[in-house]
Amino acid sequence: MAPVLRASGLVKTFGEGRAARRLLDGAELSVEAGELVAVLGRSGSGKSTLLHVLGGLDRAEAGRIEVAGERVDGASERRLAALRRRRIGFVFQFFHLLPELSGEANVRLAGRVRGAHPDAGRRADELVERLGLREVAGLAPSRLSGGEQQRFAIARALVNDPAVVLADEPTGNLDGDSGAEVLHLLRETADEGRALVLVTHDPAATAAADRVLHLEGGRLAAR
Amino acid sequence: MRRWLAAAGIVAAALVAGAAVTVGFALHTGFDRAADAADLPDVIARFAPQRRADVDERVRGLPNLESASYRYELNRVPLTFGRRHTHNGRLEILLGGRRGYEVVEGRDLSGRRGEVVVEQGVARSWGLHPGDTLEVGRAGGLRVVGVVVSPDNVAFPLAKTAKVYVGDLDDERSERIPVNQTLLWVNDRSRTDITLAAARTVAFGLGDLSFITRNGVRVTIDQAAGVVIALLVAFALVALVAAGTMLAAGAHAEVQRRLPGLGVRRALGFTPAGVVAGHARSALVLAAPAAAVGLGLGALAVGGPAEELLLALNQRPAGAALLGPLALAWLVVCGVVVAAASFPAWRAARRPIAPLLRGGELANRRPPRRASDDGLLTMGARFAVAARARWAGSVATIGVCAGVVLLMLGLASLLVQLRDDPAVLGKRYQLTVDARPEQLDSLRAIEGVQAATQRYTVQAADAFRLGEPVRLVAYEGDHVRFDAPPLAAGRRLRAPGEAEVGQGLADALGLRPGSPLATLDPRGRELRLKVVGVVRALDDSGRIAWVSAPTLLGADPGGFGQSVLRLEPGADRPAVIDRLRALGLAPVTVGGATTRNTAFLGILASVLRAVALAVGLVCLYALLQGLAMTARERRGALALLRACGASRADVAAVLTGAAAAVALPAALAAVVLERLVLGPAVTRLAASYAALPLRPGAAQIAAVTVGLLVLAALAAVAVAVRLAREPVVHGLREELP
Repeated sequence: MAPVLRASGLVKTFGEGRAARRLLDGAELSVEAGELVAVLGRSGSGKSTLLHVLGGLDRAEAGRIEVAGERVDGASERRLAALRRRRIGFVFQFFHLLPELSGEANVRLAGRVRGAHPDAGRRADELVERLGLREVAGLAPSRLSGGEQQRFAIARALVNDPAVVLADEPTGNLDGDSGAEVLHLLRETADEGRALVLVTHDPAATAAADRVLHLEGGRLAAR
Repeated sequence: MRRWLAAAGIVAAALVAGAAVTVGFALHTGFDRAADAADLPDVIARFAPQRRADVDERVRGLPNLESASYRYELNRVPLTFGRRHTHNGRLEILLGGRRGYEVVEGRDLSGRRGEVVVEQGVARSWGLHPGDTLEVGRAGGLRVVGVVVSPDNVAFPLAKTAKVYVGDLDDERSERIPVNQTLLWVNDRSRTDITLAAARTVAFGLGDLSFITRNGVRVTIDQAAGVVIALLVAFALVALVAAGTMLAAGAHAEVQRRLPGLGVRRALGFTPAGVVAGHARSALVLAAPAAAVGLGLGALAVGGPAEELLLALNQRPAGAALLGPLALAWLVVCGVVVAAASFPAWRAARRPIAPLLRGGELANRRPPRRASDDGLLTMGARFAVAARARWAGSVATIGVCAGVVLLMLGLASLLVQLRDDPAVLGKRYQLTVDARPEQLDSLRAIEGVQAATQRYTVQAADAFRLGEPVRLVAYEGDHVRFDAPPLAAGRRLRAPGEAEVGQGLADALGLRPGSPLATLDPRGRELRLKVVGVVRALDDSGRIAWVSAPTLLGADPGGFGQSVLRLEPGADRPAVIDRLRALGLAPVTVGGATTRNTAFLGILASVLRAVALAVGLVCLYALLQGLAMTARERRGALALLRACGASRADVAAVLTGAAAAVALPAALAAVVLERLVLGPAVTRLAASYAALPLRPGAAQIAAVTVGLLVLAALAAVAVAVRLAREPVVHGLREELP
């Protein structure tokens, strides 16, 4: 099976002069549809940076990235926006729900941008239902539990039916039960045929993964 | 970028202040500068021609007199230069002594024959320069040797007469020429009234006597410019308040951005005062050059129109004298910026240090009462409204600015209307001709002429206060058919001995319906009238009275008569004019205020439009500033949208919603403000001599609303383009849990 996400030779440096640190130094990654890959590493090792670069939220200094056959590296901002809209879903540690919008409206948000999935509205309804969020759908984020907020965030990531989901410490801000629930959801998401990259410190997360990679010295390696 | 934006704001605010200060100061002080430069006399007395020796004997005995000079003034002298011609020239033969004018080009009269100096208004409108030859009545071709300014009246063609000066004859020749004008300079200007009273006493027996004082000239001219000055002073205050609000908002955002750094300083032991001093210094470094640039640009932008205005009023541009007020304005703008920057820093510096280090909100913001499911535009509007105090400040600032724009546009179109449409002032006739009364029937017979009558005018003065001139106007028959200025109080005149007076005259003499009005015509004959109505009129600054024809002709059978023609609706005016010319007449088309005022009104309209444009720029800046702050505060949310695939256009849509949430209420506030406050206030200012219908029209409201929305869209696109340049992840890092 051809990989849905493929990256090679990724280089990304932070800081300047003596303070410069090369967080990614030739990192390579390949994830197939339906595969959940967990990426571990020390704090500050560049795990989040890797996800940002893979998802087109930040640009690498060198390297090649392909998502569902489309090049991410060197793409224009307009092209990157289209890729993020239709091919990539993000889940963040701190949920990033907009406080002005209800939980459900946050899910629908991704379907409101121009060029979104034509069935985004229907999919938002289904996802809210499927993730057991119907009863709290109209509440503001400030009135939701951490687990509920992260489930809404996962639903938002899936509204446009992306081929790749990138999750940055999705359980990092949750208690054990909620974290387990979220990991279960992510596993289901991968099982539906999506490539899923999960950056985590959580040992429980590795149990749900098909593969576990470690980021050390700017490179990814299996252990 | 932020510093550039803040500097741009200061430049915009200072530009408006500079424009207002320049025009306001120039107009307010123009007369005094011109009068000083021209050595304008304190009193000008006109009378029937007398032997100079006789007049000199009476003048020499006047108290408080410093010096006097004499002239012989000839009116209705034909002047011709090339294709330019007027029958209304005024030739002043100088008979020695001080001039009372300033030579602004060429040189003064030398005493040689064949020389003439011309007033600047004539030179400018006819393109005359020293060396040219001007045909002056029976004197023939005279060589122009200089151009002069005398601010005893507004300039030609705003004034009816074109003034030229000849003479400075030797004693022998000048003794043979009678005098009909004396210029008096007094030792103590505060005691001019004593000199004037004595002059009235010794002038017993002189015919056609009239006096005008330097102060009287100033009052008359100032009244014409008074509305503009009052507007500009009010506008300068509005601009400063708007600038202060904008700068305070900008400073608040800047302090918000620098909270962690501020916390670090406090943690390191800096006192709140030390932190504030640092902010004040940094604000001053930014404000000093930006304010100077803005004030300079503002002064340059309106300098041209203001100078034109002054020249039309025969006044002197401010020149270097403007530097003082501009320097004061610079201090005020810098002070406002420093205060605006220091206050939020002071508030922040006094907070506990830990929240500062976390970069928490400077103002505690309440969570929304209810969550919702909105589109991108509505979401943007919610972003803008979330910071309620700033939203209200922005709406107020832009609302006031847009209200001023609406007022300026209203005034400008009113001035154009005044210039072009006589009906605005109640004039219901369209043509005038110098015809004899017996020709009226043939005029009425012309196809397209609905009515024609004879109108008489006499230049008179109030019998008790001779400094107050009044023009008496009378029509054969009911004057309302031809001239119906809006009635402010009382009723229309119905019988001989009654008068409708202009508001300007009523204000000057304290007249109201029922008051007596006594006037003296140029030959010294008194006419007693009863005021029955007060009307709003622009002609002669409202110093005008309508009386019945028998009353006027009874007092002065030689009153200047003219035929006025009212045309049928849709009449072919050129054809009527052709028929009149075929009768050997020279018809004159009636304009608005008066035909000779068209250039002046055009200049005023262009000044107002220039100011409106400057205020429009302030609106754009305020929108940009507010939007940049919203984008800055909601950087994380906008980054999240982009992470979800939002394009630049989607981000622009959110920002457009935010800008529209400010622009639309601001447009509404502007209309309300103009209708309820600014319009009535300006109408009251002008009510001394005219009624100004200043309600904004639908087109003006639409123009301002659409203009604000266009500015909002422009600001949204500008901020969206800037946002799109930074990687999404930069914004996400700032989204706090």
